[in-house]
Amino acid sequence: MDLLGQVAHGFAVALTPVNLLYCFIGVFIGTLVGVLPGIGPISAMSLLLPVTLSGTPESGIIMMAGIYYGSMYGGSTTSILVNIPGEATSVVTCIDGHEMAKQGRAGPALGIAAFGSFIAGTLAVVGLMVIAPYLARFAVAFGPAEMFSLMILGLVIVTFLTQGSMLKSLLMASAGVVLGLIGLDSISAQPRLTFDRIELYDGIGLVPVVMGLFGVAEVLTNIEQGIKRTVSSTKITNLLPNKEDWKRSSGPIGRGTVLGFFLGIIPGGGAVIAAFASYALEKRISKTPEQFGKGAIEGVAGPEAANNAAAGGAFIPLLTLGIPPNVVMALLLGAFVIHNIQPGPLLMVQRPDLFWGVITSMYIGNVMLLVLNLPLIGMWVQLLRLPYNILFPMILLFTVVGVFASSNNVFDLYVMIAFGILGYLARKLGYEAAPLVLAFVLGAIMENKLRTALIISAGDLTTFFTKPISAVCLSVAAIMLLMPVIPALRRKREKVALEDGQN
Amino acid sequence: MKSSGLRINNAELWGGTIWFAISLFVLEQGRSLGHGTVNQPGMGFMMFWLGLVMAGLSLAVALQAIKSEGPSVRSLWAGTRWQKTLIVIATFVVYAYAFTRLGFLLSTIPLMLVLLRAIDPVRWTVAIPLSLGAPLLVWWVLQRLLQIQLPTGMFEIG
Amino acid sequence: MKRTALTLLSSAIIAATVASAAAQNFPTKQVTLIVPWPAGGSTDIAMRAIAEAASKHLGQPIVVDNRAGGSGTVGPAQMAATAKPDGYTIAQIPITIFRLPLMQKTTWDADKDFTYIAHLTGYTFGVTVRADSEFKTWADVVKFAKANPGKVTYATPGTGTSLHIGMEQIAARDGFKVTQVPFKGGAETNAAVLGGHTMLQVESSGWKALVESGQLRLLMIWTENPSKNYPGVPTLKQLGYPFVFDSPFGIAGPKGMDPKVVAILHDAFKKAIEDPAVQATLAKYDMVVNYKNTADYVKFVKEVTETERKVVDMLGLKKKD
Repeated sequence: MDLLGQVAHGFAVALTPVNLLYCFIGVFIGTLVGVLPGIGPISAMSLLLPVTLSGTPESGIIMMAGIYYGSMYGGSTTSILVNIPGEATSVVTCIDGHEMAKQGRAGPALGIAAFGSFIAGTLAVVGLMVIAPYLARFAVAFGPAEMFSLMILGLVIVTFLTQGSMLKSLLMASAGVVLGLIGLDSISAQPRLTFDRIELYDGIGLVPVVMGLFGVAEVLTNIEQGIKRTVSSTKITNLLPNKEDWKRSSGPIGRGTVLGFFLGIIPGGGAVIAAFASYALEKRISKTPEQFGKGAIEGVAGPEAANNAAAGGAFIPLLTLGIPPNVVMALLLGAFVIHNIQPGPLLMVQRPDLFWGVITSMYIGNVMLLVLNLPLIGMWVQLLRLPYNILFPMILLFTVVGVFASSNNVFDLYVMIAFGILGYLARKLGYEAAPLVLAFVLGAIMENKLRTALIISAGDLTTFFTKPISAVCLSVAAIMLLMPVIPALRRKREKVALEDGQN
Repeated sequence: MKSSGLRINNAELWGGTIWFAISLFVLEQGRSLGHGTVNQPGMGFMMFWLGLVMAGLSLAVALQAIKSEGPSVRSLWAGTRWQKTLIVIATFVVYAYAFTRLGFLLSTIPLMLVLLRAIDPVRWTVAIPLSLGAPLLVWWVLQRLLQIQLPTGMFEIG
Repeated sequence: MKRTALTLLSSAIIAATVASAAAQNFPTKQVTLIVPWPAGGSTDIAMRAIAEAASKHLGQPIVVDNRAGGSGTVGPAQMAATAKPDGYTIAQIPITIFRLPLMQKTTWDADKDFTYIAHLTGYTFGVTVRADSEFKTWADVVKFAKANPGKVTYATPGTGTSLHIGMEQIAARDGFKVTQVPFKGGAETNAAVLGGHTMLQVESSGWKALVESGQLRLLMIWTENPSKNYPGVPTLKQLGYPFVFDSPFGIAGPKGMDPKVVAILHDAFKKAIEDPAVQATLAKYDMVVNYKNTADYVKFVKEVTETERKVVDMLGLKKKD
């Protein structure tokens, strides 16, 4: 059966009324949990896993997949509105998204996030159909050495996210890595930096750190500066992106999609890196890089596209090799297993109806998400009209609930307050939080890969330079670290040239 | 960059110094956990080297601060409403302390009331219903719909 | 407005009292089952199938939480340290929980820190290589390893796992040296050998689908008897090694659980492994049901610890204090 025939067959499966219904339930729940912090797609999918048993495997998996990519849509909403990223991938969206909201442009920010996600999500599905089988090798090409170098590249890219000094971002990133190492060591199971607090054996949770550094710190800063400078008083202009916005966003969406799709394939951390790699790329090639961090729509469009495309790419290792690249994919694997289906190289051959049915349902799900999300934008924007002295206690309540719901542990509440104060002080001194959060997510993976890579190479450090993928990642990282030096030189030269011309 | 030199209330310098102290701590932790050898890296391997990197970076920040004048600590808080920020932080800490002891509802309702009244006072007619309604709504959604257990406290309310 | 709020509050109080009374009939909410391996490996798949069946008998969902690392001990160790012994958090207990304390300092005491619930099943371990590898048989590996000491790298799900200990026993017997590369579990070791990052993968049957599709080649298995699923693949015994490794495992909670709760969980899991659908899933991964009740499991823990002590001693991996 050729590709077109298979796609047609897939649509026949996905368009049956019962599967449409499951798809809708999936994306609806996904949107909801994406908006609620602390209740991510993981807990929603875990809870609904038993429900999938009642239907056919197709419907169950279609619904689970819907929750996953649906939550990717919803995740950007709180980032933009109240500077609270629901998960690591939307940390980047906070930077320019919330800035846009402060300028009264929450509508276009939410709009471009929805459209960007839609376009990227759909294109990723096309990618998944056409080239998935060829990319299986790409997913496993990243061994420990390659992963380590990719993480190093990721950390260097992180420092591009910020406006301030690179030294400071590197410090924040290093601190993030150290924080990520807290807990039981992944190789020897012994405690590190836990100070005999058993709560720390699990490591510090991402949710309290993010809620503190972003949500609470933002509130503290706003209160200190008085309410005049907050969103409520600025005029809210149009609700949807205008022509100019579209012109500026189309490039970032395209590039973000490609970047996200390929990085999403790599197990462990790929999707997170994709979002901020896209941001760094757009800032790098932009003619007006100084607008980034001050509400550049490119800084929302690119990363949002990237993280949705990554969600598509993440299906590749699962469907072709049976290797789930992240926790959500692992849950999806669980759904397959419960229906006695082994995802892997044989899935496409043995169960083409299932394989193509699930993939084509993602097309339909993406359309549903767009229809579902666009009307919501107006509602969200209305929320910002609330005066800040009413809004901020609600935001704090929201963070408390998010933190508690994610761990059920009051210790995390203290962690959030501590990080809120840290985040507030860091802002005062010109240190930005995004590098710390992303390094926090990548740190533990990076450490584990470094140690494994050195064991494989018998302590030979050249392994990082002789493996081609690793060498490329490290070279790009080196170039990026040197780049701040080069523009300074170039600017000097330009200045000289200008003065010469004037003479 | 006209006047340079060591000023003790330079905020950047303080930042660099604090970071330097942190990096020494990380370095020491890495050392005590055991950094192992290159072919069998130990638990402290990464922390040890990262500590070194951080020490270098923080010294660079401190040096820059000495070379070019940074803002003074006082100027960062000048003209701001830092007292209000302190109130919010203090309220929040008390809240976390009371959270499991009094339970979600008995601690959150007063929290909301304090926050609504103490910073930029909201009218009582708005503040009271809001501080009762919002926690109850949240409580209902979490406890009833999502089945997430919230602390009930010593009075077993909530 | 005020009055509605008050009515709401009082009804909330009534609802809360009802809820706390219901908490005595375990379980009233979802049970978290910690699987200390990454998702997609054979343990994960088996535990998911068992958990799904057990949740039907419990009447509440069982949510699998993958907390990989430390050769499958990070998850149970975290549970022992932090979870309440209320039965809502339980963990799969791999053999490394008993073995690692003999090899190094650990945060747990296998005798005291857990409430053992039921023993469930064991593994089929095997050694695989990528399909295009020059190693066609196990003899090829031995030959290469003898000529190039330490050059053969093998991926395991962690230091001190039966895969690591077993491989070292094999190597010690034949007098060659190989290098262990510890990963967190089957999903990672599959990727490592497929990507050519290590030469061998030594893991439980998570490689099944890849072996069947011809992307990996199975060189040998470590069970007592040859497997019907893999005709022609020799066991360790057939290759002349006097070993069988199958690392049976069960589930446990933190210390100090109510015996009534233990009994409820035990019954649910016992019924689950008796479920034909579960047995079919287990059989697919060559896992054989190995049921022991709570009391026998506790006895078994003591026996295993003693045998392991001898093996660890023999290999020179004993904890140095």
